[in-house]
Parts: sequence; C-alpha cells; structure tokens
Amino acid sequence: MSSRDLVQSRGGPAPAQLADVLERILDKGIVIAGDIQINLLDIELLTVRLRLLVASADKAREMGIDWWEGDPFLSKGGRDGNGNSIDSRLRALEEKAGLPTSRGEEDEGQ
Amino acid sequence: MIEAPAGTAWYVYGVAEDDPTLARLEGVELIRDSGLTAVVRAVPLEEYDEAALPERLNDRDWLERNARAHEDVLQEVAAVTAVVPLRFGAIYRSRDQVLGMLDERAGEFRSTLERVRGHVELGVKAWVDLPSLERTLGGDEVAAGSAGAAYLQRRRQEQERSRQATARCAELAEEAHRRLSEVAVAAVANRPQPRELTGRTEAMVLNGAYLVRSGDDLLRLEVERLAKEHSSDGVEYELTGPWPPHNFAEERT
Repeated sequence: MSSRDLVQSRGGPAPAQLADVLERILDKGIVIAGDIQINLLDIELLTVRLRLLVASADKAREMGIDWWEGDPFLSKGGRDGNGNSIDSRLRALEEKAGLPTSRGEEDEGQ
Repeated sequence: MIEAPAGTAWYVYGVAEDDPTLARLEGVELIRDSGLTAVVRAVPLEEYDEAALPERLNDRDWLERNARAHEDVLQEVAAVTAVVPLRFGAIYRSRDQVLGMLDERAGEFRSTLERVRGHVELGVKAWVDLPSLERTLGGDEVAAGSAGAAYLQRRRQEQERSRQATARCAELAEEAHRRLSEVAVAAVANRPQPRELTGRTEAMVLNGAYLVRSGDDLLRLEVERLAKEHSSDGVEYELTGPWPPHNFAEERT
C-alpha cells in the first residue's frame, strides 16, 4: 500500500463534510456585528441540535446519557411548551433527519 | 450604485482585495471602497431579520444550504484573489452601512489580506481506532491464582491500557501537529469534533488547520509520512481543503 492510500482526502471537488463547513462558517472568520444582530445563543442551540441530527441513532442515545442533563440549553427545556419530554423531541428530530428512531428502549449492557 | 431591493438586506460573505476578475462572479454583488471589496448578496429579510433568523438557524436544511452557499462564495472569491472570510451572519440593511464597516475596519482587513495573500488553508484530522491502539500497548499477563484475583488483575490491566492509550493518543496528536506546523506558515489546533458530530467509531484526536503557500506540497507529503509511520498505531489521517483562510482571518498577537 502506498502512503497515499493511507490518507483520506476531502475538499476540492468532493463535497466537504457539513461539520467541517459549519465549524468554519459559524466559529471562524472575522466577526462583524452587522446591522441585523444574530443572537449567539441561537447558534449555540443550533450546534447542539445539529450534533443530534448528524449523529446515528445509537450515538444519539449514548449522548442522551452523557450530556442531556448537563447541557444548560437542553436541561432548561427538559420539557417543551407542550409538555413533551426530551425523548419525544429526540425522536421527532431523528424522524425529521431520516434516522432510525430510538423508541425509548433500554440500552443493553452498561 | 447598488442598493438592496425592497424587502432584502446585504449579506456579506467576505472582504476581498479589489480585483477586476471579481466582477465575473455570478450571483453576488460587489461593494467597493478604496481597494477593498465586500462580496455581498441580497437576502430576503423574511428569512434574515431578527425575528426570522433564530428559527431558520435551527432548521437544519436551511442552515446547511446557507452555510454551504457561504462557503461556495468564499471558495469562488479565493480562487480569484485574497479574501478575508467573515463569520456567518454579517447582514446590513443598506449599502452605506457596508461601506461604513469597510471603512471602520480597513486597517484590519488590509493587514489580514497581506498575511493570507497567496496562501490556502488545509485541514488535517487524525483518527484513532482505540481497540487497535490498545492492542499495540502490550499483552496481558494473567497471574496464576484464584479466579477472583485474575479478574481483578485483568480489570487493572484494562484500566492501565486505557490510560496508556489516552496518553499515546495525545502524544501522536502533538507530534503530528508539531511536524505539520513546521511545514506551514501558521497553524491552529482546534478542538477535535466529538463522535456525535463525526458519526465515526474512531476518535478524532487532531483537528488542525494549516496555512500554506498555495501550490506548496510539503504539508501533504508530511501528512502522508505521518500516515505511514502511525498506521501501526491504528491512526488514520484525513486531509481537507484547500479552504479559504477561515482559521487565519483573525489577528493573532
């Protein structure tokens, strides 16, 4: 195997991964406060949700254990205005993203 | 004289060095002032004003479409001339306000353009398959004795291996970043993206961005060398770009 085969290459003509684009567009570059202000909190919330949307259902379930509770945006809204739990919102997001949904079953193992 | 049509505002993608070729870019307008060009597009206020944006930002399709459009415009501009990428969401209601922004920050734009002219940003990620890495860290020696003692010893060995694996990951990532920085004009090590975002089972241990002279092959060659040397540790490298210099747009002192 040549060393070149060991390096994956993206960018240029191939479409860049969304995460790489968002990392650069939302987090890098010169910050100019325009005439219309974007609330940074909106973007924070968006990146949190984005992580969910791009993750596989399994990963999302693992995440549910890790950081749902500690995340100020999500714990604050543990239930949305309609009384829906985070689980049901997660399922709705998964369905919207075309991911297999996690129907609240317990994870096997620990 | 261009003014944003009724119901629209100017979205600014970046600030470029003035270049006549920029006029050939499609779908964007140019607002020029003393050698600097703001590359802008009229965007509908019903999507971009304060009331509409929060919801749009949380709409993944909308966000992806507009983030990619932002990147595409910067790529096109970067192919023509030096550009300072702006972060998503610099929006102005009038041409005069864009001109005011150009004027106010002209010094900063000029010095950044000077720094990035003729350069591109490359991204390098390193991925580690932790089970493979742990296998390189030596085998188990299970002592004779009771089943309980053997179990405890195995647990201790697992914990020790996991600790060693973490240390080895940091060592590999630091070595890679140091060597890549040596062949780059400037370098930034960003926080590795979490698994939830990458969707990969391997752990990202390096998420670096490197500013290199356009057409310079040294960094790519170094990545290939690293990939070869580290493949037995279960490390894979990924090269992305060339990107406009997003990671090098801000002044660093």
